[in-house]
Amino acid sequence: MSRFFMNERETLVEQALEGLVEAHSGLIDVHTDPLFVTRRVPAPGKVALVSGGGSGHEPLHTGFVGQGMLDAAVPGDVFASPTALQVRAAIQAADTGEGTVMVVKNYTGDVLNFSIAAELLSETHRVEQVLVDDDLATQKEDEGGPGRRGTAAVVAVEKICGAAAEAGAPIVEVRELGREVVARSATLGVSFEACTNPMTGRRSFDLDPGQMEFGVGIHGERGIETRPITGAAELVESLVTPLVESVGLKRGDAVLAIVNGLGATHGLELGVAARETRRVLDGLGIGVARSLVGPYVTSLDMKGLSITLTALTDDLVKFWDAPVRTPALVW
Amino acid sequence: MTGDGNGTDLTGAEAKAWLLAFAERVVAGADELTELDRRAGDGDFGWNISSALKRGREGLAGTEGEHPAQVFQTVSDAFLASGGTSGPLFGLWFGRLGAGPSAPWDVPALGAAFGMATGAVRRLGKAEVGHKTMVDAMAPATDALTETTSGTWREAVVDAARAARAGADSTSGMIAHRGRASYLGERAQDVLDPGAVAVAWFFESAEGA
Repeated sequence: MSRFFMNERETLVEQALEGLVEAHSGLIDVHTDPLFVTRRVPAPGKVALVSGGGSGHEPLHTGFVGQGMLDAAVPGDVFASPTALQVRAAIQAADTGEGTVMVVKNYTGDVLNFSIAAELLSETHRVEQVLVDDDLATQKEDEGGPGRRGTAAVVAVEKICGAAAEAGAPIVEVRELGREVVARSATLGVSFEACTNPMTGRRSFDLDPGQMEFGVGIHGERGIETRPITGAAELVESLVTPLVESVGLKRGDAVLAIVNGLGATHGLELGVAARETRRVLDGLGIGVARSLVGPYVTSLDMKGLSITLTALTDDLVKFWDAPVRTPALVW
Repeated sequence: MTGDGNGTDLTGAEAKAWLLAFAERVVAGADELTELDRRAGDGDFGWNISSALKRGREGLAGTEGEHPAQVFQTVSDAFLASGGTSGPLFGLWFGRLGAGPSAPWDVPALGAAFGMATGAVRRLGKAEVGHKTMVDAMAPATDALTETTSGTWREAVVDAARAARAGADSTSGMIAHRGRASYLGERAQDVLDPGAVAVAWFFESAEGA
């Protein structure tokens, strides 16, 4: 018996979405066959923003559907891409004639299925893509490889593009803003315990006591290195320092810091991580102008966290601050 | 010349018969494809493609097959609902064929439609000839269709089938650069690519359909 809470494995994703809609019936609707989520009240006269990807990262992406953020989200099975058929149906439902910007995390299956959907709609819909590849751990020099993975910076992309679209920005501007956020962002994650496979109930990897995985993604895979667990201050510094260098942050810059729980990390722990993030950045003369702290891009029940830094501009702050009303993000 | 079953142009009814024959070939040979994939990849290819074509067959049963584009579109939707990489790419291929003319296809129209479809698979699948993928059969078959001097669609597709088969055979001896088989490299060198084999079966299925 799996200790993963569910009825049957086959109905897990759809039943979870039914529950989400139940809790937020004023905000979102779920469509089945094929499966996707849209805003309850469609927003006409604006660029549509559509995202999606494997399930198991909740509240991403379905929790970000609503005013000021996504128009539709397309969930795949756990850690598996949605099908091109789902993506195409979601774009058709969300696009009200001003075109669609797709926010796609950089994974082979996601990129393929979103690209195919866009290609097959090319006669009837204008579709643009923002590819999110913020994970510093998967940075490699070789050409032609899969490139960096897409992780928690996707929240900043969806929030900022969503606000711009809501404000009436044309499709190219929404796309370019998204690409700008990606270019200004980097993420690193660490895990103290792997996640549970809902099928087998088993952990995706084992760690010796006192060890942690450094540079993990969001699919339960191992990181780039197994290291001894250090204190919170030292650990956060080891995450933040390479991010600062990667984003090219200088004294006097302002950032958005996303301190993200990977699923089983307590709010108290994330609070400490947020404090340490600010302390490290303060020491470098970099200001945390905005922050988001909580489990937003999870990896099932992985115990661990990721830190994302996005170098801000006045425009990006304005769009980050704009009102949002979704199941997982409200201000 | 308008297509009215005169044998020159591919009609919707002929396209439907062709696709049904292809579905039958794949469902019957699914184990063969699975075995190739098991040796070179992860072994789900035969199952994925035959379930897609079973869905496609159900879809086709409910259509008149007005013109080839409509027939290909129906099969595309069935493939687009599948996981993995090959299923969606077949969905793209048939989907681009489904964007072809809403009338019977003469030989130049056939060549143009396959040219567009194969171009899309190469572009989005990021695969070229020699990468040990479905493109190794699609590309030469498409070239045969666009360069053929045949006056009837059947003769043109016979040329394409010959080219597709030669292309599929050439994948034995190739080291994969794309797809699941690329992880195995030289260890899967002597195995035919199941995607390319399926493409050969597709073109061969037109004969007698």
